[in-house]
Amino acid sequence: MASKFWTQGGSDTEEEETDIEDEIENGGAGETTAAAAGSRYLQTNASDSDDSDGQKRVVRSAKDKRFEEMASTVDQMKNAMKINDWVSLQESFDKINKQLEKVMRVTESDRVPNLYIKCLVMLEDFLAEALANKEAKKKMSSSNHKALNAMKQKLKKNNKQYEELINKYRENPESEEEKFEDEDEDEDEDESGSELEDPSQIAAESSDEDDEGEDVDDDDADGAWEKKLSKKEKLMDREFKKDPSEITWDTVNKKFKEVVAARGRKGTGKFEQVEQLTFLTKVAKTPAQKLEILFSVISAQFDVNPGLSGHMPINVWKKCVQNMLVILDILVQYPNIVVDDMVEPDENETQKGADYDGTIRVWGNLVAFLERIDNEFFKSLQCIDPHTREYVERLRDEPLFLVLAQNVQEYLERIGDLKSAAKVALRRVELVYYKPQEVYDAMRQLAVLSEDGEKDGDETKVEETRGTSAFVVTPELVSRKLTFPENSRALMDILVTLIYKSGDERTKARAMLCDIYHHALFDEFSIARDLLLMSHLQDTIQHMDVSTQILFNRAMAQVGLCAFRVGLIAEGHGCLSELYSGGRVKELLAQGVSQSRYHEKTPEQERLERRRQMPYHMHINLELLEAVHLICAMLLEVPNMAANSLDAKRKVISKTFRRLLEVSERQPFTGPPENVRDHVMAATRALCKGDFQKAFDVINSLDVWKLLRNRESVLEMLKAKIKEEALRTYLFTYCFSYDTLGLDQLTKMFDLSDAQIHSIVSKMLVNEELHASWDQPTRCIIFHDVEYSRLQALAFQLTEKLSILAESNERAVEARFGGGGLDLPLRRRDNQEYAAGTAGGGGGRWPDLSYNQGRQGSSGRAAYTGGGRPLALGQASRDRSSQSRGTGGYSGRAGSGMRGYQMDASARMVSLSRGVRG
Amino acid sequence: MATYDLTPRIGPNLDRHLVFPLLEFLQERQLYPDEQILKAKIELLNKTNMVDYAMDIHKSLYRTDDVPQDMVDRRVEVVARLKALEDAAAPLVTFLQNPNAVQELRADKQYNLQMLNDRYQIGPDQIEALYQYAKFQFECGNYSGAADYLYQYRALCTNSERSLSALWGKLAAEILMQNWDIALEELNRLKEIIDSKSFSSPLNQVQSRIWLMHWSLFIFFNHDNGRTQIIDLFNQDKYLNAIQTSAPHLLRYLATAFIVNKRRRPQFKEFIRVIQQDQCSYKDPITEFLACVYVNYEFDGAQKKMKECEEVILNDPFLGKRVEEGNFSTVPLKDEFLENARLFIFETYCRIHQRIDMGVLFEKLNLNYEEGERWIVNLIRNSKLEAKIDSETGTVIMEPNQPNVYEQLIDHTKALQGRTYKLVGQLLEPAQAQPAC
Repeated sequence: MASKFWTQGGSDTEEEETDIEDEIENGGAGETTAAAAGSRYLQTNASDSDDSDGQKRVVRSAKDKRFEEMASTVDQMKNAMKINDWVSLQESFDKINKQLEKVMRVTESDRVPNLYIKCLVMLEDFLAEALANKEAKKKMSSSNHKALNAMKQKLKKNNKQYEELINKYRENPESEEEKFEDEDEDEDEDESGSELEDPSQIAAESSDEDDEGEDVDDDDADGAWEKKLSKKEKLMDREFKKDPSEITWDTVNKKFKEVVAARGRKGTGKFEQVEQLTFLTKVAKTPAQKLEILFSVISAQFDVNPGLSGHMPINVWKKCVQNMLVILDILVQYPNIVVDDMVEPDENETQKGADYDGTIRVWGNLVAFLERIDNEFFKSLQCIDPHTREYVERLRDEPLFLVLAQNVQEYLERIGDLKSAAKVALRRVELVYYKPQEVYDAMRQLAVLSEDGEKDGDETKVEETRGTSAFVVTPELVSRKLTFPENSRALMDILVTLIYKSGDERTKARAMLCDIYHHALFDEFSIARDLLLMSHLQDTIQHMDVSTQILFNRAMAQVGLCAFRVGLIAEGHGCLSELYSGGRVKELLAQGVSQSRYHEKTPEQERLERRRQMPYHMHINLELLEAVHLICAMLLEVPNMAANSLDAKRKVISKTFRRLLEVSERQPFTGPPENVRDHVMAATRALCKGDFQKAFDVINSLDVWKLLRNRESVLEMLKAKIKEEALRTYLFTYCFSYDTLGLDQLTKMFDLSDAQIHSIVSKMLVNEELHASWDQPTRCIIFHDVEYSRLQALAFQLTEKLSILAESNERAVEARFGGGGLDLPLRRRDNQEYAAGTAGGGGGRWPDLSYNQGRQGSSGRAAYTGGGRPLALGQASRDRSSQSRGTGGYSGRAGSGMRGYQMDASARMVSLSRGVRG
Repeated sequence: MATYDLTPRIGPNLDRHLVFPLLEFLQERQLYPDEQILKAKIELLNKTNMVDYAMDIHKSLYRTDDVPQDMVDRRVEVVARLKALEDAAAPLVTFLQNPNAVQELRADKQYNLQMLNDRYQIGPDQIEALYQYAKFQFECGNYSGAADYLYQYRALCTNSERSLSALWGKLAAEILMQNWDIALEELNRLKEIIDSKSFSSPLNQVQSRIWLMHWSLFIFFNHDNGRTQIIDLFNQDKYLNAIQTSAPHLLRYLATAFIVNKRRRPQFKEFIRVIQQDQCSYKDPITEFLACVYVNYEFDGAQKKMKECEEVILNDPFLGKRVEEGNFSTVPLKDEFLENARLFIFETYCRIHQRIDMGVLFEKLNLNYEEGERWIVNLIRNSKLEAKIDSETGTVIMEPNQPNVYEQLIDHTKALQGRTYKLVGQLLEPAQAQPAC
């Protein structure tokens, strides 16, 4: 009975707990209560050691805590063994495995703590014992028996991984114990105060060992690294402890093959492998061999990265970059060594010594490695919280990579592999294109600073190399300095020209997009626009990969912002409206995950999306973007609405804006504006009344403007535009109430000069937006009354309906036959869509679409949700081209001026592209 | 006034020899110091074989009788080379100079080659020599000879690349000899080849178009019918795009052509749009004038620009062509331009006004009152303008120009029929095709 009670106490299902309580109530025996309480205490203690920690409140490092947790779990297991409780043993075993992971993560080591090994050995013994004792086995409860069997299998599987260590432990439990303590100790040191690294200690530690102290930079983290390394090397050293002259190419090669063969196998410590290989680089006999091993070191370093989503530990990354530089050093020193990944080189190719004349082929791919390093850098920035210091620290590593990329590119150019050089150049471009001049300058300064810092490091490094017994000494031939042009534009031009000349399609497209982005960033709208149109990226972008599509979206957003800054409102709106029409801006720009109301994403999709995210420092400010988009829409839409106040549905410029306006109008009370949207809506309300001052004040109060470099001039421009549109709106709205309107009065009302007002009004007159004319001697506008009789009005309505009928027929035919030569219907699609969309809450169309795409994506290759938009962008541009084609027929219609005005802009963007294609 | 001079931008797109007329013009207008122009000329001549001419210029530039040694050397060299080429091409040249022999040639190129080879021992080498000789002649400034040889070469040549460059050479020679009619023919021939030929890269094609347009300026502004044709050529989509991307300064000539040419209204609207969007890449008073009148409706600005245009036209080698009439020379294009520009302003002005004070109007048009009144009366009489003059108040009163409701209705519905027919046609097409299968 008692044993059974204990068993149940051990497991922690609710039911059983209540059982216990029942028993307590029933029995009421003090002993049982105590036992129950005890067991429960034990249980909580076991499940959550934090609780017990809480009693003492001692501040401990995370690592200590983890170790303690583990120790307590082991104790618990011992307890369970005593009472032969396999159920709780099994639980504890699972727990300790989990804790092991945590411990490993905290210590950042690949060594399994000895405590764990000890525990495994103990369990193994106990298991064997239990299995041997058949009588006891029979006596066990069914659940206990089941647990025993499960445990048997689990342990078998688990122990396989640590077989080596277990055996070692069995051989020599004492020394291992000691070593564990030892290691624990110096790991503690790494954690706590590695900045105040005590050189004497290192010396003491490494005095008896043959310290190979390879050339690490004097980073704090690496100090620790080095020490651990020396420990590990002991093992290797035993083999190579012999006289250096005895080490031959063969021995190194054999060992190398052995280590490489172990790669990826279970039980091979990833760190360990890196270290072993690193050691081998030092004993390599020929430069080619050293190179070969170095390549393996780098691959092994890439392996360290635990999963697809995580990033490589930063210190490993730095080592990796250093190794790459060493590779380059070797390659520069021995120009006869060729790196190639196409042909399988001869087995003994690397035996050829430094004095060998012919070409030596070594397997490896510099570009692939470089790209991988870049990806890891990108990933680490994705993962690190951007608001921490760590992120900033990480960003400082960028020059490190740039140096490497620059050197690799130079090397590739020298050996004439321009295609690969273009790829590397693209990586450099992608690190530079989004930086405004200020940021670029800061980066240059940082590069200069770190150079100065490195000078001290260099000296020690030289000494180190001298001190070591590395057989192949590699002098630092490749410059560790960044050479930057003053101007980021200059740098971009150099790189981009190279890519355009010799890159492949994707590289070129990406470089082009970066180029466009960069031009847009520097307020050169016309260049950016021409590049965009001449490259025909709009047509082909939907066939490209998702990340390029995101880049395209980013470039479009930036071009939109640029257009706004230089005062081209219609163009700005054209660029941005596509981005905003689906309400998924964040997703399209890969700046955060947007939740959609309409469907849940599968975890798979979410993971993919997260992997696409842009690091924080590359973000385009979404508030600014939204403000610009909405303001552009406001400036275009408000006069448009005023002009077509009678049938508002017909000519819509910005659906998004209309929808927002409807929503805000439906609100019973309007409070003071809070977010960007509120501000613009408030401004819109003012603008509708022609109150430009208020509209401008509201918009001026947005705090996103501080993000603009030339804030004053932009606001100045904005004010002028608002005045102009306010005037237009006013005239549209109130033209029915006036017979004549004096120029002077308008001048006063809108604070514009005579000439400006005259120009604006004249434009409206010529475009037949306003039925009026000037009376020059009296300086006033005379409005003509155009009133249709009822019959005429009805006739107009009829013709309107007829044309809609014709269009829907055309669409029907088009849907049937794939719309070959019909260019007219496309033009109206927007409007129809809107009409259909208003019923179902406007934007209902997009999420549906993306849902379908999403499903396709998850079943097929990479999920494609991000790809939905650029596709739409491309479509839209095609739509626009047909619009412009259609202008001829429609320009005659009265009151179509506004539409025509907008088309001018779009036609401009398209006609160019059409032309160059021809 | 040199700010609006386009020679530096046009020059690179012309043949060396074609730049001479431009430099001559500049010298005449005295926009630049004489010395600079003479130096430029020598520079230009250095790469050609017109060494004698270069020597003359050198003498006048430095006011000496000595010529630098390298020029003398070059002269010797040129003469020697000329001799050599002449010898090489001699058999063919003699053949071609024999009218009887030439009559034996037929339209069939293969036959001709065969015949020459068989009967006169004239092979591909000689034909090639003819080309080189023609080129050399051209470089020496003997344009008429070059033109003749090139013409004959083209008849015999089988290499299309060579044929094309021979055509360019012929065009240049004809332009320099001022045979505008023949030059125009050559131009059209060249245009066809450029448009139809497949180029190695689109960029080359664009470049050829740009050259063609630059060279054509000589022809169009001298040929009688040139002003219409320049619009026809430049305003084609392909050519307009070439202008927009690579040579926006050509917009000046197109704009001028549009202004002086009244018959091209439909394309004009499109062109205004082009002007508007290219304002950032190129502007000069002429395009700005158009922008003022048709984009910004700034009439005061337009009037100012009009004055500047006058200067620009006078200083432009193509636009400012002089015609000597008796004692004084006039620039016919200038007068035409001003007249038309005035009309443009006035037209637009009338469209948006109901009543205009004539005094103010004439000031805007740079006219005096009498002259202006006569001008307006003429316009009204020719029913170009629906207006009346109120001479008591000194105003012009426009007739209100209301669009007729019924016309509008007709406009709206006119297209429907065509569209429906098209629709039906499309529906029936597959239906008809199917039974046929």
